[in-house]
Amino acid sequence: MSDALALLFPPFLVAVCLVGIHAYFGIQVLARKVIFVDLALAQVAALGASVAFMLGHPAQNFTTYGYSLAFALLAAVLLAFTRTWGTRVPQEALIGVIYVVAAAAAILLIDRAPQGAEHLKQILTGNILTSGLGDVALIVPLYAAIGLLHWLLHRQMTGAGPLAWEFVFYATFGAVVTSSVAIAGVLLVFSFLIIPAAIGVMFASSLARQLAIGWIAGVITSAAGLAASFALDLPTGATMVCAFGGVLAVAGMFYPFWRGEPRAALRVAGAAARWGVAAVLAASALQLAAAPRADQPLIDLAEYLIPPLRSLYLSPAEQAAFADAGVHAERYRAEAEQLNDRERRTRTEGEALDEFSVARISSFLKSYGEMRKGEQFVMHEVRARARERIRWSAALGLLAFALLLAPVPWRQVWARLR
Amino acid sequence: MIRVHLAALVAACCALAFPAHAQDRIDVVTTTTDLRSLTEAVGGERVAVVSIVPAGMDAEEYQAKPQDVSRLRNARMIVRVGLDYDLWAERLLLQAGNSAIRRGGPGYVDASYGIATLEVRGMSVGPGDGHAHGNGNPHYWLDPKNAEIVTGTILEALTRLDPANARSYQANRSAFLARLQLKLAEWEAKLTSLRGMPLVAYHNSWPYFARRFRLDFVAFIEMKPGVPPSPAHLAEIIRSMRARNVKIVVREPHEPKRDVDFVAGKAGAAVVTLAASVGALPQAGDYIALFDANVAALTATAP
Repeated sequence: MSDALALLFPPFLVAVCLVGIHAYFGIQVLARKVIFVDLALAQVAALGASVAFMLGHPAQNFTTYGYSLAFALLAAVLLAFTRTWGTRVPQEALIGVIYVVAAAAAILLIDRAPQGAEHLKQILTGNILTSGLGDVALIVPLYAAIGLLHWLLHRQMTGAGPLAWEFVFYATFGAVVTSSVAIAGVLLVFSFLIIPAAIGVMFASSLARQLAIGWIAGVITSAAGLAASFALDLPTGATMVCAFGGVLAVAGMFYPFWRGEPRAALRVAGAAARWGVAAVLAASALQLAAAPRADQPLIDLAEYLIPPLRSLYLSPAEQAAFADAGVHAERYRAEAEQLNDRERRTRTEGEALDEFSVARISSFLKSYGEMRKGEQFVMHEVRARARERIRWSAALGLLAFALLLAPVPWRQVWARLR
Repeated sequence: MIRVHLAALVAACCALAFPAHAQDRIDVVTTTTDLRSLTEAVGGERVAVVSIVPAGMDAEEYQAKPQDVSRLRNARMIVRVGLDYDLWAERLLLQAGNSAIRRGGPGYVDASYGIATLEVRGMSVGPGDGHAHGNGNPHYWLDPKNAEIVTGTILEALTRLDPANARSYQANRSAFLARLQLKLAEWEAKLTSLRGMPLVAYHNSWPYFARRFRLDFVAFIEMKPGVPPSPAHLAEIIRSMRARNVKIVVREPHEPKRDVDFVAGKAGAAVVTLAASVGALPQAGDYIALFDANVAALTATAP
């Protein structure tokens, strides 16, 4: 457990710092309706780093960072001007164009330098798990300075003032994103930016309250995401992004209740849930009737969760064949694994195997693979045939069940038909 | 007078740039630089070999360019790694529409033919371990002994395409293998000090290398290509590195430096950058130099 804490505490601190500044910028970005501006700025900063790389500067070097920042500032000028364009073409369209052109230009640049691709990937896909206290020491002063600047200029940062203030906004935002994307990656930074801000804006109207709600939600979600990624053995950044998505969904569901009409909200939620389940059931029924041999996501999932369900439609002989093939497939897998293990151990332990024995192990492994595939084919075939047999009756049953569940006002329909 | 000299100079330059029978050279395309080096070792002056993936690029994530199609269209022979390593070549071959080098054609060479592949697993087997390749680990060229088999396959194809020069190809291959044999003994001698020493690598590119030189790769940072490691996995690696006293973490030049440095730093190990293919490091210019460079890097870091 102390291992886990030692490993997760630095990323958690980094996440707190990132949530701190991004929740604020997120609220500003939502107000300006320039949602994807961080992607554009990060990509332009990466383009700058690529130029530095092509000129021979090493990655994570002061000059390289200077290039990134200079490019981000240039993009800030462009972005400040896009507001005046926004009358006919939406600002977001131009932001998207900046993003794709910067991304494509970086690829063209990097194409000539073999290790450049990895370099570019590193700028845009930071890994928050391997971030450390060194990163915290770098970003805290920067974010504090930018936060202070914005606090002093809060009257100017409305998004409606002169373009010079817009430039200050985008330039400082560019400096933040350039550093944060290198640490946490594009996906996670986007979540930090938009989701806490969205939750804050949903439940409060003053900036101070929105910020407080966003910060609390962001910090708790980050902690939960980090813990889940450790407990479930999943990649950290992706788990955190999904945790943020989940929290936004929960907040969205909670919102109508908070708005003051819990009963109506409950009724709508119930109807939506019933329509959803009914639609899934009906679609499964159609899929089963139309293509019984194809994948049946709902039935497969149900059988995966409750294997005895298979006995509902497989004959005893089929059940035996199915179980037998499963046992054999597992046995071949286990034996192949054993062989792999033995081969691995002989690399360093005991006598080295001669070429002939290695070739024999290799061909045994291939045979086991083929045999296992054969058993899996048997399982698939047995199930597919049984499903073909019951396609009409089972599909009708599912359809009837779907109709029962759907919140159709049957009485009114009946009355109108009469 | 000067003009005559100039003409002679130009002629000399041309002769240097295009040695005898420039127009007779067989155009060969290989997917990787390693296979280019091995094909050159067999073909010598009589082949013009181009590798599709440039040196130092991750061949598993290569994105084709229009030039590649035109190269394949004009090629008489293709040499590929196989074992799902260069799957993208499949579509390129289709697009090129050159029947001579299509699967089954006289100029199609799957270099994995006859190789004893290691770590063969079915598609979904062993989700927690190593490579996503159902056909076995594809990095077989990292065992110098496998070069015998690969050059044999290449020799057969070249002989089929150009029977007149079969003897010269055979002689080239024998000379190369003799040199390789000497070198192999030298490498094995140098790496004896690392025998059984536990190592950690970022990506599981090294089973063949490990088997030949009796190295012990105990763990890999990246479990599946392209998926960053989970914290539980990192914690486990760091714990086992401390427990087994792992002093070396192996990284390829195209792999993320940050993650490798992080693990090595936590466990107090040194990072060694090895080339898994020709040209990935500047000093790994051809097949033999590749092993020279890796052996030198490993022995320099060994405590």
